[in-house]
Amino acid sequence: MRKLDEQREVLYVIRTLDVLMSSGVGLEAAIHTIGSGGYGIISEDFSSMMARLRKGSSRGLGPELKSMMNKADSEGYRRLLNTMYTNVTQNTDIIDTLRKQGARMENERTESVKKYIEELGAVPETLLSIGMIGPIILAIAGLVPQLMTGDLGAFMQLPPASTINAVVKGGLVVTLLAMFMIGLKAHTKDPGL
Amino acid sequence: MIFGLLETFNDNLLLLVLIVIGIACAVGGIPPMLERNRRRSIENALPGLLESLSDSVGAGRGIQEAMMEQSRTLTGPLGKLLKQTLEESHSSSFDAALASFSAKTRSSQVQRVMVLIETAIEQDSPLQGILSDLAMDYERLNDLMNTREEELLGRGILIVMFISIGLPVLIAFIVGLFAPASKGFQIDSFNTTFSYFFGVASAIAVGVSGRMLGRFKDALWWMPGWIALSMTLYLGAVMIVGG
Repeated sequence: MRKLDEQREVLYVIRTLDVLMSSGVGLEAAIHTIGSGGYGIISEDFSSMMARLRKGSSRGLGPELKSMMNKADSEGYRRLLNTMYTNVTQNTDIIDTLRKQGARMENERTESVKKYIEELGAVPETLLSIGMIGPIILAIAGLVPQLMTGDLGAFMQLPPASTINAVVKGGLVVTLLAMFMIGLKAHTKDPGL
Repeated sequence: MIFGLLETFNDNLLLLVLIVIGIACAVGGIPPMLERNRRRSIENALPGLLESLSDSVGAGRGIQEAMMEQSRTLTGPLGKLLKQTLEESHSSSFDAALASFSAKTRSSQVQRVMVLIETAIEQDSPLQGILSDLAMDYERLNDLMNTREEELLGRGILIVMFISIGLPVLIAFIVGLFAPASKGFQIDSFNTTFSYFFGVASAIAVGVSGRMLGRFKDALWWMPGWIALSMTLYLGAVMIVGG
């Protein structure tokens, strides 16, 4: 969940940092602006980082950014924090780096949306196949004790009806779980727009 | 037969409760849909506004004047809101008007853009370049969002139709033809189990479809209705086919 939130917000944060810092705002003030809200989980991270800096309970902005990098789940966010850390420690041209990073991240986002659409193309068919095959087989299995009565029943020894019912119910639960797992792809692979 | 069907459902308390909740939730599901349409129409018009503002600022106009001019030419909810906000801003500051405008749109895209414009004005930054960059950024973002919507909407509807309508009716026909209750088959417990299955399968289908389109919370409003529909379709079709 955190990874998805980070992916969703990081590009906006990069663009905002770009505008703020191009306007002459310093890195710390820019972090403070983003930390004041509007950028989800990244705002929360920056806000807590600024709170620690204000209290004096940290070793400075550099170490704070470094420790935040360990907390980051998505590659894009980690890269952004690394860019900020390098700027603090080595005084690099952060605006240029942010622009390049933003452009690259935008391309990645476009690609990931296309990939997401392609990957979800097969979901309706897969869901339907599992959702149909399972219940059809289980429906027939559930009706077998009643269908195979009289002469038909003499040909084959059937398990007790309670066992068949338990198998049918278990099978339906497994079918639902399989459908859920297929559907979960729609959540886990979300590109975060 | 219709009364017979209704009588059958009288014994199924869960289904009756779901039908009532489903109808109530379906009514509750309409406002989020309308709100989303309004918000998306504002967001789709945003890059155009930013581009025009960039051109006007580049031509030497002030941002407030450029906005005023755009509010007169822009159609749709964005133009209407902008006009209304700028008219109200005569009694307050321009910053307050921008904040009020972004709050009224209820769009995170507009809110972010307005914060950046405010900051750029405060810092005396080159607005033309910033507005032009923002226009391009949000145009690309909206294109992606619209592509996702167009490509996945059909698939989302397909999932719900197949799982919530097609599947229960198909299985009901199989059960009704092979084991009709009119010929003495005892399938009450079997039908109850399968109706629950179709209810849960419907919930999964609606959830997956909503998540695919990035609006899971909105889809939750329609979930009880689809659950009730698929259970009703199964039980009704079994009774119609099997007696």
